[in-house]
Amino acid sequence: MPLLSIEDLVTAFHTPAGRVPAVDGVSLSIDAGRTLGLVGESGCGKSVTAMSILQLVASPGRIESGRILLSVDGDTADLATLPEPAMRQIRGGKIGMIFQEPMTSLNPVFTIGDQVAETVRLHRKASRSEARARALEMLELVRIADPARRIDEFPHQLSGGMRQRVMIAMALACDPSLVIADEPTTALDVTIQAQILELLSDLRRRLGTAILLITHDLGVVAETCDEVAVMYAGKIVERAPAEELFSNPLHPYTIGLLAARPESAAAGGRLRTIPGTVPPPQHYPSGCRFHPRCEFAREPMCKGELPQLREITPGHFVRCHYAGELEAVSRP
Amino acid sequence: MTHPFVSVEDLQTHFPVRKGLLRRVVGAVRAVDGVSFTISRGRTLGLVGESGCGKTTVGRSLLRLVEPTGGRVRLDGTDVRGVDGAALRALRRRMQVVFQDPYGSLNPRMTVRSILEEGLLIHAMGTAAERFERMRRALERTGMPADALARYPHEFSGGQRQRIAIARAVVLEPEFLVLDEPVSALDVSIQAQVVNLLEELRRELGLTYLFISHDLSVVEYLSDDVAVMYLGRFVETAEAKRLYAEPLHPYTLALFSAVPSVDAARRRRRIILSGDVPSPSRPPEGCRFHPRCPLAEQVCREVDPPAVSLDGHRFHCHVAAREVEAAGGDTAAASRRMAELVSTGAAAV
Repeated sequence: MPLLSIEDLVTAFHTPAGRVPAVDGVSLSIDAGRTLGLVGESGCGKSVTAMSILQLVASPGRIESGRILLSVDGDTADLATLPEPAMRQIRGGKIGMIFQEPMTSLNPVFTIGDQVAETVRLHRKASRSEARARALEMLELVRIADPARRIDEFPHQLSGGMRQRVMIAMALACDPSLVIADEPTTALDVTIQAQILELLSDLRRRLGTAILLITHDLGVVAETCDEVAVMYAGKIVERAPAEELFSNPLHPYTIGLLAARPESAAAGGRLRTIPGTVPPPQHYPSGCRFHPRCEFAREPMCKGELPQLREITPGHFVRCHYAGELEAVSRP
Repeated sequence: MTHPFVSVEDLQTHFPVRKGLLRRVVGAVRAVDGVSFTISRGRTLGLVGESGCGKTTVGRSLLRLVEPTGGRVRLDGTDVRGVDGAALRALRRRMQVVFQDPYGSLNPRMTVRSILEEGLLIHAMGTAAERFERMRRALERTGMPADALARYPHEFSGGQRQRIAIARAVVLEPEFLVLDEPVSALDVSIQAQVVNLLEELRRELGLTYLFISHDLSVVEYLSDDVAVMYLGRFVETAEAKRLYAEPLHPYTLALFSAVPSVDAARRRRRIILSGDVPSPSRPPEGCRFHPRCPLAEQVCREVDPPAVSLDGHRFHCHVAAREVEAAGGDTAAASRRMAELVSTGAAAV
């Protein structure tokens, strides 16, 4: 049984303009200790998927259907329907969270030591001094220099990279089985990003924590994830082991994303582009949601029928009517 | 003798740090602290560096959107810092800017027409009919429909807004554009469209670009020459191909190695730098990079490294200078040796 198994999740926002299905039938699974990258462009539904796992989707959004099964030590719970008190024990307990903006995710009026210790005391029976000792241990673990002094500092006294280390310390303080990291390095400079990614990989190896990494950066995924799921317009369009996905992309959207990177351009040549823009959920096209932008789209299938996620080669799933048949012509 | 189109000598832009009741000046943030470069007509200089290194301030100083505190800036031979009033306005028509944030840089209360026309009116360019024609052409050039004129910025996507910002710049028929992270806020598929547009405009209109970005792969693709900036200074400058193939400065090496890539073949041995960028109000003595440099020696802590220049490849580093000399001027060999040294963290003796 996988650690986390999402089955046919639908999360929609009910706005005056109508129902907006940001996540529209997503199925995913992560095994213990593995890293899954969930990639896609803005508005594809990747962050709403993460928020659904934690039941943190803000009103007017709500989980409409599907199951989110978390299995730890033989106990399985469906996070889609778990009542709030139990959910509070999951968040920060069995599931740690790291968000993009450490400045807004940390409370500016408490010291970082207090904030890490609070997480510990919420989930474990620990005295103040025990919690503080654990906080110090965590700050050391995430390699904050001089932790005994830093523990009494406030978030504004730390650099962006340091703050993100504090977030990681909080996420890992209660030995979670899974960490959800939503664009954890997007706000950071590239040399600091390298430090944080190296720290995350190292901690994962040592602690055996599974990671769901949500990002728009294909390079980050390629270097840190075991498996990748690509999202487009509320659906998973391709899923495969990382190496396989990047060496043998099969969905036209994935192929297009990889080809649009400047590194892929021939010397002096133009960049390949994907025409048009991502459709907003109110205006998802019929059939395959990518067909209006797809250079391989064929009538009448692509416009008329929503393709299923099919296993083309072992472990490589693609939501495209012609996946595998495009192969010969599709190499960028 | 022909002069370079854009020429910058020893540019300095310091911001005063004020403290106390009387707001007395107690120090200065040396955002740009002695930067020199030239850009020939029709070429693109890429400027890379991390947040706070001063790259945005360089761009703004050239346009005098912030006042430089020292040095000399020339556009086509005219001293940008020496003019005022009408002469400055005339110069500003020739140099325009596109900012990163297409949401923040377009006034939401103005139609696209008034956004584009504002500059034309300020510079008194043409009759109403001529202005309309210029705007129509600018929109067409940037791939926007002509009916966009009557609409407001919020009606457009991020990529389209950035096209409007570009149209606003090119409608004045400038010769030099400062592009400050123009594609950083855009998704990959949209970013490629805007990058292609910028390259097309440069070719068709003969524009000269200063392209500022933290995205090394976009800079590599668009630039003829590239400068790497750290803490108010250029640490290394070279032709783009050469800089990416043979970086010599330890900071450039670390920066390039930190970029995550999809292609295993492009990945370099990762060099993890320790610590953060120091404050530009108290830059370190000697080489500014020495507190984070795995190769720092005594001389690095004491002496600001002078520029070493080999066929247009310029860098400031004591260790690299020694390695280049030891390699008999073979920069490719010196670059391999520097990469080796930096990643093992052991300086040569």
